[in-house]
Amino acid sequence: MNPTTETAWLLVGTNLLLFLALAPLFDGIVRRVAARVQNRQGPPLWQPLYDLLKLLGKENIDAVGILPFRLAPLVALASILCVVMILPVAGRATALTPYADTLTLIYLLTLGGVAVLVGAFSGKNIFALIGASREMTTMIMVEPILFMILLLGVIKTGSLELTTVLYGTPAGDYGWSGLIMIVIALFALQAFVGRQPFDIAEAEQELLGGPFIEYSGPNYALFKYYMMIKQMFYAYLPIAVFVPLLHSGLLVVDLILQLLLTALVFLVIGLLAATHPRYRIDQALNYFAGLFVLALGAVAGALFG
Amino acid sequence: MWLTSKIKQILMVMKPGIVTLDYPRQPAPAPATFRGQPVWDHHKCLGCGGCANHCPARCILTRDVCQELRVMLYDGSRCTYCGRCADVCPEEAITMSNNFQTACDDKNDITTRLELFMLTCQRCGRCYEMEKTNVIDRMELRGFRYDNLESRALIRQTTDTFSPETLAATEQYQRPSR
Amino acid sequence: MRKELEAQLAAQLRDEVVCVEKTDQRTIFIDVKREAIRRAARIVTEAGGRYMCGVGYDNIARDGTLGMVHTFSMDRNDHFICVRTKVPAIDPVMESITPDLPSAGWSEREFMDMLGMQFTNHPKPKRLVLADDWPAGIYPLRKEVPYDLVPPGADDVAYQLDEAPPGTKIVPIGPFHPSLHEPEHFAVYVDGETIKGCDYRGFMTHRGIEKLCQTQVSYNEVPFIAERICGICGSVHATAFSQAVESAGGIKIPRRAEYIRTLMLEIERIHSHLLWLGVAGHLIGFDTVFMQAWRVREQLMWLCERLTGNRKTYGMVLIGGVRRDITPEIADDIRAVVKKIEEELRVIHRAIEKDSSIHKRTKGVGTITKEETIAWGLIGPVARARGVDIDARRDHPYAAYNDMKFDVPVLTDCDVWSTLVVRVLETYEAIRIIHQVLDKMPAGPIFVELKDKIPALRHAITTVEAPRGESTHYVITGEDNRPDRWRVRAPTYTNLQAVPLMLLNEQFGDFPIIMGSIDPCFSCTDRVAVIDLQSGKASSMTRRELEFLSREQLHRA
Ligand code: SF4
Ligand code: SF4
Repeated sequence: MNPTTETAWLLVGTNLLLFLALAPLFDGIVRRVAARVQNRQGPPLWQPLYDLLKLLGKENIDAVGILPFRLAPLVALASILCVVMILPVAGRATALTPYADTLTLIYLLTLGGVAVLVGAFSGKNIFALIGASREMTTMIMVEPILFMILLLGVIKTGSLELTTVLYGTPAGDYGWSGLIMIVIALFALQAFVGRQPFDIAEAEQELLGGPFIEYSGPNYALFKYYMMIKQMFYAYLPIAVFVPLLHSGLLVVDLILQLLLTALVFLVIGLLAATHPRYRIDQALNYFAGLFVLALGAVAGALFG
Repeated sequence: MWLTSKIKQILMVMKPGIVTLDYPRQPAPAPATFRGQPVWDHHKCLGCGGCANHCPARCILTRDVCQELRVMLYDGSRCTYCGRCADVCPEEAITMSNNFQTACDDKNDITTRLELFMLTCQRCGRCYEMEKTNVIDRMELRGFRYDNLESRALIRQTTDTFSPETLAATEQYQRPSR
Repeated sequence: MRKELEAQLAAQLRDEVVCVEKTDQRTIFIDVKREAIRRAARIVTEAGGRYMCGVGYDNIARDGTLGMVHTFSMDRNDHFICVRTKVPAIDPVMESITPDLPSAGWSEREFMDMLGMQFTNHPKPKRLVLADDWPAGIYPLRKEVPYDLVPPGADDVAYQLDEAPPGTKIVPIGPFHPSLHEPEHFAVYVDGETIKGCDYRGFMTHRGIEKLCQTQVSYNEVPFIAERICGICGSVHATAFSQAVESAGGIKIPRRAEYIRTLMLEIERIHSHLLWLGVAGHLIGFDTVFMQAWRVREQLMWLCERLTGNRKTYGMVLIGGVRRDITPEIADDIRAVVKKIEEELRVIHRAIEKDSSIHKRTKGVGTITKEETIAWGLIGPVARARGVDIDARRDHPYAAYNDMKFDVPVLTDCDVWSTLVVRVLETYEAIRIIHQVLDKMPAGPIFVELKDKIPALRHAITTVEAPRGESTHYVITGEDNRPDRWRVRAPTYTNLQAVPLMLLNEQFGDFPIIMGSIDPCFSCTDRVAVIDLQSGKASSMTRRELEFLSREQLHRA
């Protein structure tokens, strides 16, 4: 697979556009699912986009007045956009993919998380602080699970290269370790996307939005956008890793199939979110620890099995 | 346990379908017995002031501008739709309508003002005594009344005969403030 | 009962008891000298009395004294005991009973604020009700203070929070916070995620209802105002007030009216419990339970619209009876609706009763022992979930409850989950009662005409079991066709005092649901004070200043 540079750059653009456009839509799907579960009409599918536009049109209140506070949303959004740009599209490397590998991906994802923390800590708001410390704990527990999922791919394919790791696994056999990993990915899904029962950091009822409490207007819109795209990435990831490509040879068909599957994942996210209470941080930690041990086992299995 | 509960929850939500209304495109009608905004029939009202005496929110004001003219002002912005005024009105001049969508940007839009020509009661100038209800209802506010319509305040001051001085004095009335 | 108590009092207090009188079947008034108040309270408690509330009143115009009544309920033999004392207005000092009875703490603090009484040995003699900038020396419930007095505000005073335990941070919950629904301020001291303590500064929704009704309106307007004390248990307050006046004035209302009152109270209970179930779901972040419970509740609101003319604030109760009759058609309507509600609630109940994810958030959370519950005098579902078997409907039957057969669910798990179960079970019982009311309702008038004036200066106390616990109303009748003193003690007033205890050593994430488990109603609790204190301060402040100020507050924490 060695596309010409031109198409490769085109792929970068496509991916970027797709994520930017579809992330709010998928968020809309989650809201709609929740509404249906609650017997409500629910908002229009594009409501998250309208929200973003509205926020962007508002005055930017610099509540803290120090640079990190202002930069944090930009860094967060930029980092997640970088992730999107290096991401292969439906099994095909983009122009930027060769410059990165699996570790870069993890770095960039962590950078986004750190930006959220920086924003929260610079606010010195007690709710933001509690939210940030929760976010941090969650990150420390959840990122390794992501790492394990990718590591499994690395072990199975014997390469660090992104396209191979992301899309190579299903081509090789799953093995029982792969199957376990699918289950783990499913159980960690809500934590990855930060929704019930694991929206602990934002916990509206206790923390009023936690890390984002001091943000408003365009800055907040950036964070929201960041969250939506991150969510879409995490929903997209298991599809890429665990579902075999159609390999129809036609990029468009493959891509559409993948997006449809992602939409399906969002349906699941919506359903899970609407049928669970929020867990407490200590309960969530126990849960993650269990998942982590399992994931470790699966990786070990892949190594020695 | 967890799984069966989740299945039960999904089943629970499947049955009713969508229950919310696409308001305001799909308005919700109020039943016939609804107590909405009170409306006055100025043909029936005889200006007894009973409704003003019994309104718990004190949002019906009575002012005698001169011997012959009584103004009744209903300040809808403070009304609680309790329907007490309609209960006590001896002439059934007040009906509780079905209207509950009274949000507006000018409170004059939900204000009713009646100007009534009065004859004078031989006994007490103006007169009001509840016939229908009992002794705990009785409120001694007979005669000429001078509520301040400008600041929409009830002024507990009545005279047996019309008094231009009191009228002028209550015109100066100001609500307490800092 | 009276004889025994009298004998005991006489034996232990001798001539410090002024007199013991029994005004009706239920109520015993004991007048003691002020030196004996604490001992008298202790004797009554030992005899089985459960503290309800304190009532202070201004009697200066008559004999230059301020009165204080401590009221107790004997739940086992249907008595109310009111220990009454008076202190001269120039030297309004008496002994505090709070060291013996912690639930008296707020009642006493309230009258320090409102009447200028002083209680020696009170453990926390801080301001409770009045605003921080209310000038010292003006006691709003005294008769000489006009109801519409607006003293000048001050900027430089602030409530001093309790000392935070070492190593903790203060998290300000409120005055505006999504889990509170009403403006109240909790300062929660957290160590990491664990709550180590909590101070409460509430009473921010002062509306001056008591003062208003003592000075401005007449008897039959009060039920409508009482109904607006609370957006949820409105009928409870209207009924309690009307019953108190009826009891003071010796008015006997038609049996049919009592049945209709019972019906309204039970409809209100269903409504409130469904509402609470939804809110509880919301507070643990489970919005589907919230929406489902409210979907079921909605039918009831529509029913009430047809039945009373409004979704809430039914406006059914007047002194002397009720306003609207129950026609056979509407009776069938009620039967159909409550039957449907019962079915749908059972579906919800089955769907959540074994859900381990809900158990995770509610079981073993907010536990206090039965002994603590009794010591703090907790009431309603909060107490019944902790093994304390009290229910005013059964213990002090009013309206038509003596004709009804119903169970009082009592659980012993002492946590949030059992308060949830108690409330759901009570809803089924309420539906049972509604069917009985409709079946047994006698024919007849619904309102009684009154010929004589209500004599002045009669004391009366009633309780009505609101969905959240008993609401106690104390009325002293007055001369100008209005009460001379009307004291409302809503259930949250009692239950809220024990919330710091429930919060202790729990996780911060559980704050909303523990708070929510008592079904707090702050507007009921706050009803008293004097005036709607619109602070001119906020509007004249620029936004930047406001931002700055609010951030200052947070940073200080
Ligand atoms: S409905 Fe009630 S509040 Fe409104 S005007 Fe009539 S008596 Fe007053
Ligand atoms: S009670 Fe009826 S008749 Fe009397 S003033 Fe009011 S509306 Fe008119």
